[in-house]
Amino acid sequence: MFKLFFLITLLSSLLFSQQIDFSSPLNIKLFADYLFCDKDYLRAIDEYEKYLSVFDDDSIQFKIAVGYSAINDQSNAFKKFSSIKKTSSFYDQSRIEMLKSLYLQKIDSSYFLNADLLINSQSPFSNNAYRLKNSSLLLIKNDLPEKENFLIPFENEEKNNLSNFYDLKNDPPYKSEVWAGIFSAIIPGAGKIYTQEYGDGITAFILTGLFAYLAYTNFDHDHPTRAWIFTAIGAGFYAGNIYGSVASAQIFNARVNFDFDEGVKLFLEEKNYFTPTYDFCK
Amino acid sequence: MTFVNKNLLLLIIVLTSSLVAQSTLQQQFDFAKKLFTQEKYFDAITEFKRLQFFDNENQFSFQSNLLIGKSYKAGAKYDESIKYFVLSEMDAASDEEYFKAKIFNARTNILRRTTKQAERILNDLLIDQRFKSNEKEIKYWIGWSYIFSDDWEKAYEIFNENNLDTALASLCELVDQEKYSVNFAKYSSYLIPGFGQFYTGEYLSGAISLGWNILFGYLTINAFVEDRIFDAIIIGNFLWLRFYSGNIQNAEKFAVQKNLEISNKALEYLQYSFMGERP
Repeated sequence: MFKLFFLITLLSSLLFSQQIDFSSPLNIKLFADYLFCDKDYLRAIDEYEKYLSVFDDDSIQFKIAVGYSAINDQSNAFKKFSSIKKTSSFYDQSRIEMLKSLYLQKIDSSYFLNADLLINSQSPFSNNAYRLKNSSLLLIKNDLPEKENFLIPFENEEKNNLSNFYDLKNDPPYKSEVWAGIFSAIIPGAGKIYTQEYGDGITAFILTGLFAYLAYTNFDHDHPTRAWIFTAIGAGFYAGNIYGSVASAQIFNARVNFDFDEGVKLFLEEKNYFTPTYDFCK
Repeated sequence: MTFVNKNLLLLIIVLTSSLVAQSTLQQQFDFAKKLFTQEKYFDAITEFKRLQFFDNENQFSFQSNLLIGKSYKAGAKYDESIKYFVLSEMDAASDEEYFKAKIFNARTNILRRTTKQAERILNDLLIDQRFKSNEKEIKYWIGWSYIFSDDWEKAYEIFNENNLDTALASLCELVDQEKYSVNFAKYSSYLIPGFGQFYTGEYLSGAISLGWNILFGYLTINAFVEDRIFDAIIIGNFLWLRFYSGNIQNAEKFAVQKNLEISNKALEYLQYSFMGERP
């Protein structure tokens, strides 16, 4: 009876201790999936790597790459997506994801080379690559293609946005620095008003005018010392206002560029860089 | 007899499996806790999360959530930390556990500088009859919350109450005494331009401010005396008034800045040299 008891205890303990073997590949994968869906990507990647050291699994490799991409480690994401083999069912997705990683790292010749390769391939995501490439053309200094050609890959609801971006890129609403300076030289503050700094423009006009008037009346009433002080202050305001108007035009133009770039980036982010969505956590 | 034996066999299997499972989870908990003790917080969090994932009966939920919270707190990830302290509150099996989780939540809020939230949590605990015996501890953290909200006077009152913590009370009193009155600096400059700057130890700035005000005050009054009313209004409005109001703003700014320096110095002492318990 004792022997039987001992045997049962031993067997069942062996049997059940296996069920919570934390280091078994299956449990590691289950735990990694849980972490991945909990958006704890860094830990999920560590666990998936452990699993991969035992089993070769392209879906796990792909999830690692997606994890790196999600935490914005685009360099590692690119490496991982590159390692997906042609025979894998994730191959096509990995190519467009690679393009996204390259875009998020730097828009350079390598990015455009990869984009062209994907566009000219038989990939189901070649049009996605085409859209990503054309959108990113808005963010570099090169000339854009003809508008009709530029808009070809986009869907109808995207065309409106892209058309606006195209027009803004070709004809940005810049303010001329030279004209801002000239306007302020003719009428103090006019340059600031031209660059839409209305408050500053009116203040500059009033201050310069007042000091000019004070200088004039003091000269007129024979107070040369005070008159020269006001002349110096007035001249300072006048010169400063011309300089400020030129600077204001530069700031205005920088803001136009910044807003444009941010708009395009936001558009791409909302479109998830034309990459597919995955249902790993359903 | 066979029926009895079968039942006995089943019972032994169930009991043993449960026992073994529990012991494996216990081992995992011990392992994770060891990592936590070794200050390997990233790994500790991973292992606690692994424990939680396999702990189907939530036997270790409270402790693992609390320690995950502490690990995140140690890594200054306060948002995540608070999330896990709240989870541990929900899993608390006793008043003592609930209190512990709440206190850690409040302490993390203090560090995160969401002191209003910390005060709300602590005040709720203070009025809760279950924690009457923990009143001193609650008040201690309320005092710290006041320190982090830069209210050293209130912090002093709390620490001084029934000699809760004499060292902290002395420090808070000292800081409160050292701090400049922003209102005094501001309003004294209304009466004598530059006085607020002198009060905050900014003598050069005070002297310059006084000088500008005397100069443009003289020019304004002189213009009035010489019947140049327009000149007087323009100089008074655009020069004297500009320097006069600038002097008031300047005095206020200096007092705020000096107070910040005093507070930061005290907080630095509390961070590196204070031997008592800190948030």
